[in-house]
Amino acid sequence: MTLWLVPLLPMLAGIAIAAFGPQSRRALAAISGGVLAATLILAVLAVAGDWTGALDWGGGIALTARLVPLSALILVMVPAVALPVTVHAALHEAQRGLPRLVGLMLLFTGGMVLVVAAADLLTLLIGWELIGACSWALIGHDWRDRDNPASGLYAFVMTRFGDLGLFLAAMAAFGATGSFAYDALGGLQGPVLLIVAYGVLLSAASKAGQVPFSPWLFRAMAGPSSVSALLHAATLVAAGAYILARLHPVLSAATGWSVTVLSVGLATALAGGIVAVLQNHAKRLLAGSTSAQLGLMFVATGSGYPGVAALHLVAHAFYKAPLFLAAGLAGDRAGTYALDRLRLGRVMPLVAGAAAVAALALAAIPPLGGAWTKEEILKAAEAAGPWVAFGVVAAGAMSAAYATRFLLLAFGIGKADDESPAWPEIVGPLALSAVTLILSALWLGPVSGDLAALLGIALPEGSRFWLALSLLVVALGVASGVYLSRESPDLGTAGTAAAAADWLGLPTLVFRAVVQPFERLATSAASLDTRAVDGGIRATVTLMEWAARTSQRFGEAATDGLPEGTARLTSLAGRDLRRLQTGMSHHYYAYLVGGLALIIVFLALGA
Amino acid sequence: MLTLAILVPLAGAALLMMASGLGLRAARWTAVAFAAVPLLLLVIVWAGFDNGPGAPAFQATAEVPWIPSLGVAWRVGVDGISLALALMSALLFVGCVAWPMENPDRFRAYYAWFLFLECVSLGLFLVLDLLLFYVFFDLSLVGMFFLIGRWGHGEAERAALKFFIYTLAGSLAILLAIIALVLSADPVTFDMRALIAMQPLAGMDLRGGLILLGFVLGFAVKTPLFPLHTWLPPAHVNAPGPASAILAGVLLKMGTYGLIRIPFQMLREAFAAWSLPIALLALASILWGSIVAFAQTDMKRRIAYTSVNHMGYAVLGIAAAGALLTGSEGARSFALTGAVVEMVAHGLITGALFLIAGGVWARAETYEMDRFGGIAQVAPKMTVAATLAAFASLGLPGLAGFVAEVQIFVGAFAVFPWIAAVALLGILITAALFLRMLQQMFFGKLSEARAGFADLAPRETTVLAVLLALVVLIGLWPRWLLTLVDGATQTILGG
Repeated sequence: MTLWLVPLLPMLAGIAIAAFGPQSRRALAAISGGVLAATLILAVLAVAGDWTGALDWGGGIALTARLVPLSALILVMVPAVALPVTVHAALHEAQRGLPRLVGLMLLFTGGMVLVVAAADLLTLLIGWELIGACSWALIGHDWRDRDNPASGLYAFVMTRFGDLGLFLAAMAAFGATGSFAYDALGGLQGPVLLIVAYGVLLSAASKAGQVPFSPWLFRAMAGPSSVSALLHAATLVAAGAYILARLHPVLSAATGWSVTVLSVGLATALAGGIVAVLQNHAKRLLAGSTSAQLGLMFVATGSGYPGVAALHLVAHAFYKAPLFLAAGLAGDRAGTYALDRLRLGRVMPLVAGAAAVAALALAAIPPLGGAWTKEEILKAAEAAGPWVAFGVVAAGAMSAAYATRFLLLAFGIGKADDESPAWPEIVGPLALSAVTLILSALWLGPVSGDLAALLGIALPEGSRFWLALSLLVVALGVASGVYLSRESPDLGTAGTAAAAADWLGLPTLVFRAVVQPFERLATSAASLDTRAVDGGIRATVTLMEWAARTSQRFGEAATDGLPEGTARLTSLAGRDLRRLQTGMSHHYYAYLVGGLALIIVFLALGA
Repeated sequence: MLTLAILVPLAGAALLMMASGLGLRAARWTAVAFAAVPLLLLVIVWAGFDNGPGAPAFQATAEVPWIPSLGVAWRVGVDGISLALALMSALLFVGCVAWPMENPDRFRAYYAWFLFLECVSLGLFLVLDLLLFYVFFDLSLVGMFFLIGRWGHGEAERAALKFFIYTLAGSLAILLAIIALVLSADPVTFDMRALIAMQPLAGMDLRGGLILLGFVLGFAVKTPLFPLHTWLPPAHVNAPGPASAILAGVLLKMGTYGLIRIPFQMLREAFAAWSLPIALLALASILWGSIVAFAQTDMKRRIAYTSVNHMGYAVLGIAAAGALLTGSEGARSFALTGAVVEMVAHGLITGALFLIAGGVWARAETYEMDRFGGIAQVAPKMTVAATLAAFASLGLPGLAGFVAEVQIFVGAFAVFPWIAAVALLGILITAALFLRMLQQMFFGKLSEARAGFADLAPRETTVLAVLLALVVLIGLWPRWLLTLVDGATQTILGG
């Protein structure tokens, strides 16, 4: 069977649902759930049967799809996370435009599956840009408020800037090897390898919301919370971490690449942690945390353990998605995402429970699976050096602090003054958190050992010292999270904290350093162009008047037709515009006559 | 067969002019029928087109002597490039003729001019004689001049005049270059095939350069390339939608097609020597076109400037393909195939965009984007069509523009890495400007003034659906198009 089937099923179904989908929530949930379940089954079959795909575009271009163990893992993860999230969207999100929302989420998932299955840079680029476009449509889903499409534009353009890196990588790779295939990248050397390696890194960093591209993740919060869950857990953002892990074997040969990946990741992990701790907006807190967690995956890949990054990507997907869904339920109920005004633990205890499991995994509290993968990253960082390990420990402290703060403020004990959400709205987060619980099995040596062996993943060796330090620091982080939520629940609503919480001023910097100068450049270029137009008009008119006068002077001596034509030509230039059309044919014939005369002259000269 | 494809629309035009009793509907359907015949004929030619190795470069040829002493004859024939462009043009003409008139006034003349324009446009792509090429090149100006001047709005006559004079000046440069080129041939002939085989100016530095300059100048005006593009925005803004679609979709292609067929193929050495300046001119068009488009507040001006940007990609591909006489064949054939696919894709995509713009004018009589907002609410079909066309234009994978642009970039990178890398910025800026256009016009709150904005009528929907379906098909499965074009580029670069 062909591997194309796996991305095509959700894509085609998604387009069909967006165009003709039913309005009924249950029907939408059933259809989209069925499609994604089928996609999941296909993905498992594809992994088991080692399916491949190839499509000849002609003209020397072929698209190819093939799996390696690492991509097989992500191929199964993507529909597995998308299934509960999309069903939740069908059951919970606003009714208006619901078929379009659900259909686009399927298309989005299909695009991500294509990214995972790709075996060459061109196929990758197709999936890569497709998920970018889907994110535009999904973030701007509620287009009646123009701020939403504007946020979608921000996200799309900023991630597309990164896509240029992938374009460049594909161009350089093809120029050097005559092929886009991943397999051909192994032979690259010198500047071409540098272009490919850093081009891929640029696009991965922008998709994964790493510094300095992080602000788009905040703008992406304009979309419905189900979209955020999908985008942050399984698709767009995940694509960045995935592709670095997937291409690590070939790209790590480029000079300084691993160190750069590691530095970008560590910087984002720390900065994202600070931003998330200071945020008062529930979804933005989670968005900051996404950047930070993806940063940790970059650290793992940069340290030489891409498999560990992939495992953390899976664990992160299963705890981040329910957190977003829970935040959406809370925010929609309270009418605000301001953390200091939620405390809905008693209103929606089951949601709070699901969020608690996921938040503890985010905080990396054993025995949850998220804690295991984070400690594996710490071990990988140890291999890269003590400073890196120290950075990861510090980032872990902040994860613990913001996860605790989120949980206590959003789902702390408040008033039970409202009905709890109906079952259909709770199923999604509960199912995802259940998987997070199941992933706790990773702490069992045989389980994780077997999994790593199955996927061909090398697990790093680490010392007890760092593990102990890390667990201690996590405990401190939790304690400070509790302290912050008790003592200053309105942290990040005013003053320096609020300013820093807006991605440490990065959005302002982007606006002042890129957006504004470009708009000024465009405006002045346009006015220059318009002035050139005016100049052109004037020059043309002047030229024609001159031509008309000249030909009139010589016209008397020429044929009978010419004076007539030139008289009309004069009128063309100026006053009676109404007569221009009739004059034009004469004008035209005058030129033809001139042209013929020229031909004759040339012939005479040539003969 | 090809001769018939050229003459049938002309016969249709004559018929429409004479049949004075014809009503609007009857006139339109007569025009559609006459416009569709060449499409059908070209599809038949395409079905019989041999793409195998060793197949003749030009097929479906026919020749009728005209002025033997000068080597002028009625010569027709197609290779993969001209066939692809002629097919696209014929389709676009059918769509534009079927599209509702904005101002149903003097409709018989309107449709007659469209058929006349179809005749000369197809003629330009299908003939293999330089003199005929030049005649059709000039006659296309006449047809478009009347369509803009008589059925346009705003300062239509002024814009039409500017368009006419500007491009006529360009075509005079071409005329001089043609005469000089033909006189350098021995024996004197206007047969394109003979001139390609002869390479009459090989080894002549100054003369070759001057003749090349004449061609490049003339075609650069028509394409248009920066800084010779300033006739384009006013012509578009004041033209009726379907005329704009033909102007952008078909007439601009004459510039790039001419660039390939004449200087590229007939003056290989001179073209290779001057390919870097041409590529730089293309880069300037790519960047300038997109930057200036970004600042436009008028929807049609914005789309018009993106044409400068997109045709810049096509010229970049052509320049890269012609930069070397041997070596890097793979990358160069990529660049040339990409350039041709870009022309086809741009014809379909920008044709659709201008038709939509025409629809907007017919409903609101303004193109100022800030006077719209939220029309997605009342015109969902138009929103979907505009979104699809905009994404295709900004080069989204899965749509036709991407296939072309990725080939151009990849091919050009092998020859001019820095130019190709900088040109990438163009696709970022076009992304921003198209999404902004969608955001301003279609999203947000619906203003009361636009509450009565009607969605696409069935006829408009059908035309756009056909054009955009092809855009999607080329984007997903371009094999049929790439095979056709690639056969020609292999012959051009190999021979």
